[in-house]
Amino acid sequence: MAGSLILLIIGIPWLGALLVWAIGDQNAKAQHTLAVIFSLLSGIASLILLAFVDSRPALNLTLAPAFGNLTFVPDGLAVTLTVIATVIGSLAVLFSVDYMRGEAQLGRYYFMVLFFIGAMAGLVLSGNLLFTFFFWEITALCSYGLISFYNDDPKAVAGGIKALIITQVGGVGLLAGTLIAYANLGSFQISDVLANAVAIPAGALSFMAFSFLIAAAAKSAQFPFHTWLPDAMEAPTPISALIHAATMVNAGIYLLARFYPAFESVPNWRTAVILVGVISALITAFMALTATDLKRALAYSTVSQLGYMVYAIGAGGVLASQFHLLSHAVFKALLFLTAGSVIHAVGTRDMRRMGGLSAKMPFARNVFIIGALALTGLPILNGFWSKELILEVGLEGSPLWAYILMLIGAGLTAFYTFRMTWLVFFGTQREELHVHETGMAMKISLALLSIGSFTTWLFFGGLNKLLSTTMPFHGIEEESTLEMVKAISFAPATWFALLAVILALTLFFTLGRKLALSESPGWLNTVTESSFGFESVNHFFVNMISKFAESLRITQTGELNWNILGIIGALFFVLAMLLWGGA
Amino acid sequence: MNFSALNIILIGIAGLLGVGFYGLLITRNLIKVVMMLQILIKAVVLALVFAGKVSGNLGLGQSTAATVIVADTIVAVVGLALAVQVRRRFGTLDVPQISTLKG
Repeated sequence: MAGSLILLIIGIPWLGALLVWAIGDQNAKAQHTLAVIFSLLSGIASLILLAFVDSRPALNLTLAPAFGNLTFVPDGLAVTLTVIATVIGSLAVLFSVDYMRGEAQLGRYYFMVLFFIGAMAGLVLSGNLLFTFFFWEITALCSYGLISFYNDDPKAVAGGIKALIITQVGGVGLLAGTLIAYANLGSFQISDVLANAVAIPAGALSFMAFSFLIAAAAKSAQFPFHTWLPDAMEAPTPISALIHAATMVNAGIYLLARFYPAFESVPNWRTAVILVGVISALITAFMALTATDLKRALAYSTVSQLGYMVYAIGAGGVLASQFHLLSHAVFKALLFLTAGSVIHAVGTRDMRRMGGLSAKMPFARNVFIIGALALTGLPILNGFWSKELILEVGLEGSPLWAYILMLIGAGLTAFYTFRMTWLVFFGTQREELHVHETGMAMKISLALLSIGSFTTWLFFGGLNKLLSTTMPFHGIEEESTLEMVKAISFAPATWFALLAVILALTLFFTLGRKLALSESPGWLNTVTESSFGFESVNHFFVNMISKFAESLRITQTGELNWNILGIIGALFFVLAMLLWGGA
Repeated sequence: MNFSALNIILIGIAGLLGVGFYGLLITRNLIKVVMMLQILIKAVVLALVFAGKVSGNLGLGQSTAATVIVADTIVAVVGLALAVQVRRRFGTLDVPQISTLKG
């Protein structure tokens, strides 16, 4: 049963992708309908899969002996991420019906989206590292295709290629780690790797741990690879919500969480993970402070929140990171999609040109504020519980300086979130923009997501149970929602964090409202616009390679004499080698 | 240094990879890019057969190599067909130029 469900979850979107592409762009209405139906079916199948959670493989397909069996393991971690990918995926597809109406080449768009949803489910469900890698690369490909969807726009094309190249670095890391595991254990099965991690020599294990960290950082846009995500905002907004906030960027977090038990004891690995998380969370929070593009600001905050999850894993809180992942997927998808409906309505992404939209778009305003409050981490909303849980774990499991930096990060989050909300919806109207209200399909998915922002923390007990009963290597303790609520309400970590948030909000309401529109200090702008100098590191590598290639071009003369000389030289070389070898 | 047959194959793999990467770096012609990709794939095919021999799964290595040959033929056919279309539409095969043009 579980096996066929898994096949359905991956197969339905892929079948839908082929169908949508095959019926052609002249039947736009049928394409919209089919895409929604197929993604919803996949979402329903993954919700049913919640009842069949198991730590053993549900599906075991025999392949050639060298590759190991293709297994799919529906354990707690995998099923949670599958549900997030397919359910939020189907809401984003539903949103697309309004957002993409009248666009050309819908077939390409929906093909990529559905292909991506199936691949993401496969990536987390696969129990075979080699196939995890395959699905991992498919998601990278779809991400590239969707970022560059508006291929008339050179910025979109450049952003897509940048994302593709940087996530390929991560792909190489994942493949290298996978091959190290195979060389030492003779198996690609994730369960074998987790069970026999001690049998891998220390040097090889630490190489594997750090190459997986590189893979995760590149995929999740963490320091030092954080530069691709903001440029990926050239994609249509539902894509930014689905791939660059709710699903694909979670793959890195998934990888770290999955292999945490194997790498836990590798010297310096946990410190490195904490460092990556803290640095990403802080520097991108600063960048969000000065961003003027609504979607870029949200992208920075995504990197920042992913930094919190990475930090939680480094501090030993796999459960906390997955809980925040769930909350973040819901409220960030909500924020992105609302931003999408605003952008769709006013026709610009520049927050300096918006302002005073509150009266014209009351529905969008209400749901955006819900999402913003969840991102800020104010009580009752899901973002509050998960962020407090991370900070609580951090206080216990990480050095004090890291915890204090993350507290500052929480304050910064509150500040930039309110600045964003203020610039878009409140204050004076700065420009006469032609505004139309949100469409019906958009409203449905936004309403569902905002209900989710209020309620998903209630699933904490269930999530905990799924993870603790089906993840034998992670050693997660069982805790019900009520116990979690009690623990968090009385933990000192919570009060420190709330203090930081309130401090930031007071600062915002006394000073920030005026500052929000005025130009931020020049040095801060320069630093944030160049991604703290990492943009120039990227340029350095690109320039180095293209210069090297240019200097090599003189060796290709195209003159017959030189070519024949080369051929004869090579012939002599081979003959000499054969003679020498024969002797 | 011992130049056994296996070592010579290894040098061949490295050589093909080197030629392929060198070509990809220097060329701007779309057809040459497709050719260089083919050379890289040939290195991979050779490596598969080699790995099959070394690990004792000669049959597996050969059958995987045969699969790759089929797949890379498709790549070559589609790539060259695209090159023909690009040439017809843009009048050039220069990669930097066609990547900025819109079709």
